[in-house]
Amino acid sequence: MAKLIVQNETILNLLIWTPVIGAFALPVVGKVSPRLRNLLALAGVLVSLVCSLALYRTVMAGTVVTVAMETGFGSRLFHADCLAVFMATVSSLVGAIIVFYSWGYISHYDNQNEYYFLVVLFLGSMMGLVFSANLILLYVFWEITALTSWRLIGFFREPQQVVRADKAFMMTFFGAVLMLLGFIMIFDKAGTFDMIQLRERFSSECIPNLAVVLILAGLLSKSATLPLQTWLPDAGVAPSPVTALLHAAVLVKIGVYVYARLLIVTFAIDPMWNVVVPAVAGASAILAAGAAMIETDLKRIIAFSTISQIGFIFLGLAIGRASEMAIAGGLLYILMHGFAKGGLFLCAGIVEQNTHTKDITRLGGLVRTMPVTAVSFLICAFSVMGIPPFGGFFSKYMVIAGAAKSSPLWITLIFVVGAFMTIIYLARVFVMVFMGESKGHEEREGSVVMVGSVALLALLSIVSGLYIGVSSDFAQAAVKQMLGGGQP
Amino acid sequence: MISSPLLYCIVYPALCGVLLLVVGNRIKWLREFLLVLASGINGYMAWALFQKSGESVAVALPWAGFGLDFTLRLQHFGGFILLAGAGFGVLISLYSAVFMREHRHANQFYAYFLFSLAQTNGVALADNLVMLLFFWESLLVTLFGMIAIGREDAWKTAVKALVLVGISDVCMMVGMALVGSLRGTLSLNVLTQQGVALDGLGGLAFILLVLGAVSKAGAIPFHTWIPDAAEDAPLPFMALVPAALEKLLGIYFLARICLDIFKLPSAPDNWACHFLMILGAVTILIAVMMALIQKDYKRLLAYHAISQVGYMILGIGTAVYAGIIGGIFHMLNHALYKSCLFLSGGSVERQAGTTDLKKLGGLKAQMPLTFICFAVAAASISGVPPFNGFYSKELVYDGALSRHVLYYVAAVLGSFLTAASFLKLGHAVYFGKLAEENKKVKEAPAAMLIPMIVIAGLCVLFGPWNELPLKTFIYPILEKAGVEYHTCHGPIPHQMMLVAGTLIALVLAALNHRYGVKRTGVGVGASEHIHHAPVLGWFYDKAEKRWFDPYEVGMKVLRGGSYALFYLDRFICWLSDGLAAGLTYLASAIIRWSHNGSCSRYVLWALAGAAILIWYVMKSA
Repeated sequence: MAKLIVQNETILNLLIWTPVIGAFALPVVGKVSPRLRNLLALAGVLVSLVCSLALYRTVMAGTVVTVAMETGFGSRLFHADCLAVFMATVSSLVGAIIVFYSWGYISHYDNQNEYYFLVVLFLGSMMGLVFSANLILLYVFWEITALTSWRLIGFFREPQQVVRADKAFMMTFFGAVLMLLGFIMIFDKAGTFDMIQLRERFSSECIPNLAVVLILAGLLSKSATLPLQTWLPDAGVAPSPVTALLHAAVLVKIGVYVYARLLIVTFAIDPMWNVVVPAVAGASAILAAGAAMIETDLKRIIAFSTISQIGFIFLGLAIGRASEMAIAGGLLYILMHGFAKGGLFLCAGIVEQNTHTKDITRLGGLVRTMPVTAVSFLICAFSVMGIPPFGGFFSKYMVIAGAAKSSPLWITLIFVVGAFMTIIYLARVFVMVFMGESKGHEEREGSVVMVGSVALLALLSIVSGLYIGVSSDFAQAAVKQMLGGGQP
Repeated sequence: MISSPLLYCIVYPALCGVLLLVVGNRIKWLREFLLVLASGINGYMAWALFQKSGESVAVALPWAGFGLDFTLRLQHFGGFILLAGAGFGVLISLYSAVFMREHRHANQFYAYFLFSLAQTNGVALADNLVMLLFFWESLLVTLFGMIAIGREDAWKTAVKALVLVGISDVCMMVGMALVGSLRGTLSLNVLTQQGVALDGLGGLAFILLVLGAVSKAGAIPFHTWIPDAAEDAPLPFMALVPAALEKLLGIYFLARICLDIFKLPSAPDNWACHFLMILGAVTILIAVMMALIQKDYKRLLAYHAISQVGYMILGIGTAVYAGIIGGIFHMLNHALYKSCLFLSGGSVERQAGTTDLKKLGGLKAQMPLTFICFAVAAASISGVPPFNGFYSKELVYDGALSRHVLYYVAAVLGSFLTAASFLKLGHAVYFGKLAEENKKVKEAPAAMLIPMIVIAGLCVLFGPWNELPLKTFIYPILEKAGVEYHTCHGPIPHQMMLVAGTLIALVLAALNHRYGVKRTGVGVGASEHIHHAPVLGWFYDKAEKRWFDPYEVGMKVLRGGSYALFYLDRFICWLSDGLAAGLTYLASAIIRWSHNGSCSRYVLWALAGAAILIWYVMKSA
């Protein structure tokens, strides 16, 4: 029997272009049949997921898949290594669940064609960014995500929401422009935008600190880290699946991913940054955790929690080449945080849609009327707190253990305090929303699709903890490839 | 390889727990049947494994990498904990099957019960530190669940427990990470061979690990959720988790830290020993002082559950033979008598409908068997010869006295107060006048009595025949750890002076009780003269108002700090929303003002521009 052989390059092309180009077809299909459009939207993201999984074996074997074409700024367009495939798998998996959830959530609102178009394009451009092999392409996809997120945050079109969307766009754009300046500085020195050539050029020599500052401005603004974090809580006005996308699958994960891609894999940087970046991340983690403790808007609290947890991811990655465990912990953190935080936001969406409020002082006792949502929320919260047997335990352990080994003690202590605060503010929000007296809203469990999605994410949080070996192997392979001299 | 019995005894109870969650509450008898059957099989597996614990049985599976291996290793101490935990599981499951039957979340309780057994087995068998932490910290989830399904407001206590235990577990995690980075391995087996020095980071790691271990066992400063849980959580939870499993696990790991990793007995004059002994002595005294004034059956017991941990920590902290033996023996004895006491409290609660000491009284005639079990266990905890508690306390006294007389005095003072508070409790519940509404109270059902009678029987058995548990379980632990023989070996009690001290404390407690009862006329008032004593009264008053509760205080401090952070965040937000936007508006206002359409002003700008240009050209030329 003849075996169907698909070239790895084709898979990679399909992975990126199916959602990016397919997104444009969705509004047209939506005119004919909304049901088909919903299916196709999910299918588009699932193609990315399946293609990522199809590449899993190839990249685990150490092969790097490259797509090349002659352009003005380097011939290689996309390349797929362990790190990229890992990130793409996480994003497309969480993204697919969120699109599925949207079937239930967004059916109550207008402009659904626009919604699905933007969401799929958003995820598609994330795929493009993840696999970009040169800085210009990276920047292009970076800005596509910024544009789509701008429209998605302001999706409901109230004046306040439009202002918040503008703020998110301007802050991330501000960072991105600085980052582009950094790229230009590097081009000045190396004469290329291609990541492999850059890696060879800067294998022993560090890039200028100014370039690091400029690039960091872009990363910190995208990943909502001090001092450019304030747009993220404000972006909570977006529809809940969109906030879940921003926090769990795409937007804030871009910053940390590009940190790993550029500042660990591609460029050598001054060792000073291995202390400065964790210090900034630590300040960000504590500041956001404190704000989460006081805030009363459900989605803002979870947003502050994201800012705080992103600090932990940065800590893991920024320890840098000193500790493989910390980098692997940072990567696993991206995965575990994706599941858990996606679940938290989708639960918040169910609560918000059914009670018409986000103010936790006006919520309470929902565990009786929304048991599945409550349990899923609790499981996801446990995972974010880093309590076993949920997945978050391992990532938190690896990051903190890596810090304890390779960082000054005070950095570890900051993050330990951050971990304490995480337990407390998540417990607080859980009991205020789900425990105690009911405040007499019209309460019922969400639709099957929505509750099913959050239950699935909660289940993934459990499974990823019990079967830590699968994701950990992947992360370890990625770290080996990132640090080992091989092709990036 | 994978089909190892070690793995079975973790996976099997957990799967039964999942099954119970799935079965739900529809078929009532099935849940109880499953619970008792599963605990019974777990008990059998533990027994079978303990037989093998002389041989070295191990399982190693790849796990998360970076030294985080899935290694199980059956060694003697772990086998002992396994057996003890499973034994309590069997007895208390029988009790719960009756006690919890009518509870609306009974199936959840049973499921968490079995999860806890699985996790206990996991901790006892884990060889890798992180794996131990994995099972150890996941007890937090079942703890949260078991408390939260209690009374209406029990979730508040559940959150308190989650926060306090969660924080101590994070401390332990950092300690493990430090040990791992110092020695490059997380395997307990390898660490036992290498040892870790107690200086610098090693010392920090020691303190963090000890904090985690003693907090699990329920010592200060992370203890304050236990008395609250006693009132809010379902009673079998108290008998199972804080009284038995957590003590076993906490002291097990404390002993492994002190004996195996940091090897305290090889240098007993270390600061670490004094740290432990002071922690133990303070725990004994503070908690027993609080226990003395309680007016609720379960709350009083909960404070004793904290206080008794002090003896174990003190014993192990002495780092001498008698003390360590006594500490570990006391762990076993405490698990016995304290779970028996909680179970008796549960019987009273179920039959009389209250645990308020002011409403109880005279139940001796109504519930004779419960009373006898209570009396045996109370005598054990007070250290009355010849019950088991007497022997383990004598050993701890011996160890303490050999270190410093102050430790000994603190321990004996603790015994005096323990005896006083149990005289008060017994008097208030079982003697005195029978209240009108309690006239119809009957003895508890057989399924609840059997576990109590079995445990009380063991309290008697382990007294005069203390050689049985000591030889089977405890001497080998110290042999393995290489602790040298000390004075005491031989029939206990070995020092008449210590016995005399104990007896004097007991007689004083009885006199004190007599005085207190005479003063107020009721058993429950036996401690009023201490409660309202001049200086003490003030401290008691503030303690009742939770001034010294680290959770309450910590939350207030944290809330204040969080407000500061919150407003700092608002300020940063203003920098981007207010300041940056304001500057933009200002700039555009200036430009608007400069372009007002007047021809003369444009000429002015053009000339100014030309002037600057000329000046620049001149300068560079």
